[in-house]
Amino acid sequence: MKEQWRLLITENNSAYSNMAMDRAELVSISKGKAPPTVRFFTWKPRAISIGYFQSLKEEVDLDACKNLGVDYVRRITGGGAVFHDKELTYSIVIPESHNQIPKNIMESYGRICGAIVKGLKQLDIESSYVPINDIIADGKKISGNAQTRKAKTVLQHGTILMDVDVEEMFSLLIVPDEKIRDKLISDVKQRVTSVKYILGKDISFEDIADAMKIGFEEEFNIELNNGTFTDEEIELTNKFEKDFFSTEEWNHRR
Amino acid sequence: MVNKCNIKMQSQSTYKVPKGKLLKIFLEYNEKSKLIDNLKITGDFFAYPEESIEILEYKLKNALLKREILIEKISSIIKENQIEFIGLNAEGLAEGILMCLK
Repeated sequence: MKEQWRLLITENNSAYSNMAMDRAELVSISKGKAPPTVRFFTWKPRAISIGYFQSLKEEVDLDACKNLGVDYVRRITGGGAVFHDKELTYSIVIPESHNQIPKNIMESYGRICGAIVKGLKQLDIESSYVPINDIIADGKKISGNAQTRKAKTVLQHGTILMDVDVEEMFSLLIVPDEKIRDKLISDVKQRVTSVKYILGKDISFEDIADAMKIGFEEEFNIELNNGTFTDEEIELTNKFEKDFFSTEEWNHRR
Repeated sequence: MVNKCNIKMQSQSTYKVPKGKLLKIFLEYNEKSKLIDNLKITGDFFAYPEESIEILEYKLKNALLKREILIEKISSIIKENQIEFIGLNAEGLAEGILMCLK
């Protein structure tokens, strides 16, 4: 019998709640209280997440966010700023000691991104992992990924772009030199793609989630079973949301 | 930005680490002694454990702003604290810091 992992699908949660769920899973799984877990999720309201090391005010136009009703949150993972709009976001939380997870961080990126590549293949999209943390299709980025390791547990989360509005994205990010805004936008348009752009049609969150489920099952030779959060995870999610991710102290700390 | 006494300096730099990520440094230093007063290391790189960046910022206070000395000090902090960088390295960090002087 194949190893059974937990699948969580949590649509339409706030940025604070989404980041708190990942962290709650990390605590719970590090204590052996839940099996390795894959979660597929969306963001409501739309939000920008920034990497742990980024300066919020250097990266994000906070007034523009307010005007457009876009939230912002600092992640516990490194990497860059991401506008979470039309996308499927995934996270995987698994003990570092699990035999499917390479000890080497870059190799483990490759392995987990392998699940996304296999998932995209289910949608008839050929893609490949490009270090450090991107997946590209048709030579353009379709997925960005970020990993942290805490309490001997790996958390990796990332995006699969369903559609992208580069102009709107740049209206929310700080551009170092306004004179080159148009050039930046056209450069990024050249470098970023989406499921919709490649397939020429809209694909629903559910269809992408189904494809990604198969991707993870194939990559790790496991079965993903629909599950729910434990009571402790629900409690921790509420705590982390209130005490960390929604606070000015956390989000403005750099 | 230069303050009136022209000794305490504040500066910032943006530096793309070769084959790595974009580093943004905020530096306060003493222009006369060339010692770091305060340092903030930001960017889209990865560091494990994440808290190690605060250790680096703290331990680089009073470091002399000279390439070889900075690289040696950063390398020794990395080793001592078992820090793993992805998209950043000691040389790139030193370069980003020193770019604040230009």
